[in-house]
Amino acid sequence: MIRFDNVSYSTNGIKIISDVSFELKKGDFTALIGANGAGKSTVARLCNGLLKPSRGAVNVGGFDTALVRTSRIAKFTGFLFQDPDRQICKNRVRDEIRFSLECVMEDRAEIEMRCERTLKAFSLDGERDPFSMSRGERQRLVLASILATEPELLLLDEPTTGLDYRECMHIMECISVINRKGATVLMVSHDMEIVQDFTREVMVLNDGSLLAHGRTKDIIRDESLLARASLLPPQITELALRLGAGYENVITVDDMVSAVKKKRGGAE
Amino acid sequence: MGGFLDYSPGDSFLHRLNPLAKIFLSLMLSVSCFVTDSSIFCLMIILLNIAMAAVAGISSRALAMLRTLIKFCAFLFFIQVFFIREGNILLSLPFNVYVTDKGAMFSLMMVLRLIGATLPLALMLSITKMNDLSNVLVERVGIPYKYAFSLTTAIRFIPVFTAEMAGIMEAQTARGVAFDTKNIFKKIGLIFPLCVPLLITSVRKIEGAAISAELRGFNCRKRESGYKSYPFKTADIGVSIFALTLAVAGVFIPF
Amino acid sequence: MIRISGLSFKYDGGREEALKNIDITVCKGDFFGVIGSSGAGKTTLLHAINGIIPHHFHGDYYGSVEVNGLDTIDNKPEQLAGTVGSVRQDFESQMVSSVVEDEILFGLENFSVPRDEIEKRMTDALDKTGIRNLRERNIATLSGGQKQKVAISAIIALMPDVLVLDEPTGELDPQSSRQIFQLLGELNEKHGITIVVVEQKIMLLCEFARSLAVMDRGRVVLNGPVSEVLKSSREMESAGVNCPRVVTLADRLRNENLYMGPVPVNIPEAENMVRSTTL
Ligand SMILES: Nc1ncnc2c1ncn2[C@@H]1O[C@H](COP(=O)(O)OP(=O)(O)OP(=O)(O)O)[C@@H](O)[C@H]1O
Ligand SMILES: Nc1ncnc2c1ncn2[C@@H]1O[C@H](COP(=O)(O)OP(=O)(O)OP(=O)(O)O)[C@@H](O)[C@H]1O
Ligand SMILES: [Mg+2]
Ligand SMILES: [Mg+2]
Repeated sequence: MIRFDNVSYSTNGIKIISDVSFELKKGDFTALIGANGAGKSTVARLCNGLLKPSRGAVNVGGFDTALVRTSRIAKFTGFLFQDPDRQICKNRVRDEIRFSLECVMEDRAEIEMRCERTLKAFSLDGERDPFSMSRGERQRLVLASILATEPELLLLDEPTTGLDYRECMHIMECISVINRKGATVLMVSHDMEIVQDFTREVMVLNDGSLLAHGRTKDIIRDESLLARASLLPPQITELALRLGAGYENVITVDDMVSAVKKKRGGAE
Repeated sequence: MGGFLDYSPGDSFLHRLNPLAKIFLSLMLSVSCFVTDSSIFCLMIILLNIAMAAVAGISSRALAMLRTLIKFCAFLFFIQVFFIREGNILLSLPFNVYVTDKGAMFSLMMVLRLIGATLPLALMLSITKMNDLSNVLVERVGIPYKYAFSLTTAIRFIPVFTAEMAGIMEAQTARGVAFDTKNIFKKIGLIFPLCVPLLITSVRKIEGAAISAELRGFNCRKRESGYKSYPFKTADIGVSIFALTLAVAGVFIPF
Repeated sequence: MIRISGLSFKYDGGREEALKNIDITVCKGDFFGVIGSSGAGKTTLLHAINGIIPHHFHGDYYGSVEVNGLDTIDNKPEQLAGTVGSVRQDFESQMVSSVVEDEILFGLENFSVPRDEIEKRMTDALDKTGIRNLRERNIATLSGGQKQKVAISAIIALMPDVLVLDEPTGELDPQSSRQIFQLLGELNEKHGITIVVVEQKIMLLCEFARSLAVMDRGRVVLNGPVSEVLKSSREMESAGVNCPRVVTLADRLRNENLYMGPVPVNIPEAENMVRSTTL
C-alpha cells in the first residue's frame, strides 16, 4: 500500500528525513514512533503527497506521489493532522462530517445515512458549533469525519491526544474494525500502551532515519533500541524487563498476575 | 514552510546590525530606486540586494522572492506597455496595438523600481526579529510599547495569515478537495467557501494570542523593561551613511 | 492558595453548565492534578483560575475564586498575571512571536525582570525543557511537540507563584513528558510553586502529583490525596479515566490475597511489590 524507496526530504537545505525505506502491505496496522522532532509528521505528509520527497520515491496505492495530485490520493486516504483544528471548516458538526463524505462520494442517500450513523457512533451533537467545543471533543469530531468515509488507507498523526481513556479505547476499536475490514493503518503515536495494545508492527524513527521496523511485541521490549530513540517501554513491559527471568512473555496485567502465581507456585 | 517574511536565523554581519540601521538601510535602498531615473542604477540596487541576501545566508529565499516578483511584474509590464502610446513605435501588432520606446522604457523602469523597492524591505524583515524591532522603536525612537508591539504584530500577521491559508488549503486537499488543480479559476472557486472559516480561525488565533499576551503580563510592561540594549555601533553608522549616500546618488546619477 | 467555592459556569450559547457547583481548595505549595473525561470542564476550571473566565469568556457565573488572596472577579487577568502563569491547551494560539527566543523574552520583559537575570532564566528554561538548540528557530518550522516545549519554557521562565498547565504533555514523547513532570516537581519542591495541572497521562499524575481531582460532566467526582483517590477505581472508570496499569496490578494481586502493602505509583515501587509477593 505504501512504499518508500530511499526517501530523503530536505527543506531550506536542512535534511529532515534521510534515506528512509519501508513497505506497508494492505491490511497492515503499523505505528510510527519516535521522539519529538524525529520527523514522524513529515513522514506522514510524505505518504499522501502533501510533501514530495527531495530524493527517492514514495508509492501509495500504486501511485507515485511525485506524479499524482494529493487530492487524488485523498480519495482513498484518510489523513488526520496533528492539529485537528486545521481541518475544521464548517460551523456545524453535521456539516463538517457531511463535507468529508461529499469529498469522496456522490450518493446523497449514502452520505446522509453515514453522517447520521457517525454522529451516533461517536456520540456527537450534530447541531453544535465545532469552535465552541473542547479540544477533546474537536479531536473526536475530526476523527469521526475521517473514519466516516471508511478509507482504504488511514494516516493518523497522534489520533489520541486530548482524549480521555474511554474515548481512546473507543476510537482505537473503531480503527481496528476498519483495519479488520482490510484498511491499512499508519498511526503516529506517543502512547506506548496504545501502540502495544492495538498495532501489529512498529517503525522507530530517530533524527530523520528509520532505526527499526518490526513486530510490535519485539520492538516494544527492546529497551536499548527504545533508549536510542529516547522512548520508554509501556509500564507493565518495563516492569517485566526489570523483574527479569520468569517474566519474559509478560505484556498485560493478566500475564503479570499469572507470572507471579507461577513463580510462587515454583517457590512453594 | 517558512514564508517570505518569516525570520531566518543567522549570525551574519547583517543579522548583527542594529535593527534601526537595518530598517534605514532597506528604506534608503527602496527610496533610491524611486528617486532615480537610471535603469542601470536600479539594476545595481537589485544586485546589491541579492549580494546582501547572500551575506545573510538567505540567497535561495531571495532568488525565490525575485522569481515571484518577476512573474508578477511581467504581468504588469505587459499591461502597462500597451497603454502608453507616445514615442516612436518599436513593435507593431495587429488591431492597432503597438509598443513604443517610451512605453517600453517607462514600463521597464516601473518594474525595476517595484522589484528594487520590495526586495530590501522583505529581506530586512526576514533577518530582523520582530521583538528587536519593537524594542528598538521603544528604546531609541520613544514610541510607546503598545504601539510598537501592534506595529510589529501587524507585520507578523501577513506571514501568519498566509501560513494559515496554506494550512487550511493543505488540510482540505488531504481530504480530497482539488486545491492542487492547475486551473486557476477552479482553484479560486474552491477557495471562496473557505474564506469564512479562514476568517474565523484567524480571528480566533488573534483573540487567543491577545488573551495569552495579557496572561503573560503584556499590560505590565514598562518602557525600560527591554532586555537587550541597542547601541549604535560604528558598523551601524557606516551602513547608515552608505545607505544615505546611495539614495543621494540615485538622484544625481547621470546615466 | 487557591480557593474555589460554589463555582458554577455556563458559557453563553452553551446548553449545559460547564462547571457545576465546584468546591476546591488547593493549598499553597500543593501539586494538584486534574483528570477527567473530555468536555468535563477541566479547561474551564483553569480558565476560572487565571481569570479568562469571567473576563474574556462570558456566561452565567456563580460562586467565587480566590488566588493567593486575589479575587478573580475584582482582579482582571492582567492583575493576576504576576501571580498565575498559564500554559494553555491550545498552545499554538499562545504564541505571540515568530522566533523562539522572542517568545521566551516576551513575558520576562513584560514583568521587568532585571537584564542580567533574564539571560540566566531564559537559558535555564530552555535547558530544562531540552530545547536550547531551538533558540534561534522560527516557531512556524517547529514540530508540534517542540512548539509545546516552547510554550512551557516561556511560562516556566516567569517563575510565578502559581502555575496552571492544561495538558502540557499532550504532544510530547514519553521521555519528554516525564522530564516536564520532573521539572514541575522540582519547581514545586525547591521553589514552593503551587502547581495545578490538567493531564490525561494518569501515570505521571500518580507519580508526581500530591492531590488529584477527577472531573466528569462539570462536577468534581473525586478529590483528595492521590493514594486515596486511586482506591476508588470504580468511580474513576465511570468518569472515563483508567488507573495506571501498575495500580490495576496491585488491585489484582490484592484480590488474590497476594499483596497487602501500599499502592505503587511508579515502576520501582511496583518492582518491589512484585518481588515481595514472590519472596
Ligand atoms: N525550516 C526548518 N529548519 C530546520 N528544521 C526544520 C525546519 N522545518 C522542520 N524542521 C525540523 O524537522 C523535524 C521534523 O519535524 P516533524 O514535525 O516531522 O516531527 P515529529 O516527529 O512529528 O515531532 P512531534 O512528535 O513533536 O510532532 C523537527 O525537528 C523540525 O524542527
Ligand atoms: N466557548 C464555548 N461555548 C460554549 N460551550 C463551550 C465553550 N467552550 C467549552 N464549552 C463546553 O463546555 C464544556 C467543558 O469544556 P472544557 O473545554 O472545559 O472541557 P475539558 O474538560 O477541558 O475537555 P478536554 O479534555 O476535551 O479539553 C464542554 O462540554 C464544551 O463543549
Ligand atoms: Mg508530529
Ligand atoms: Mg481542555
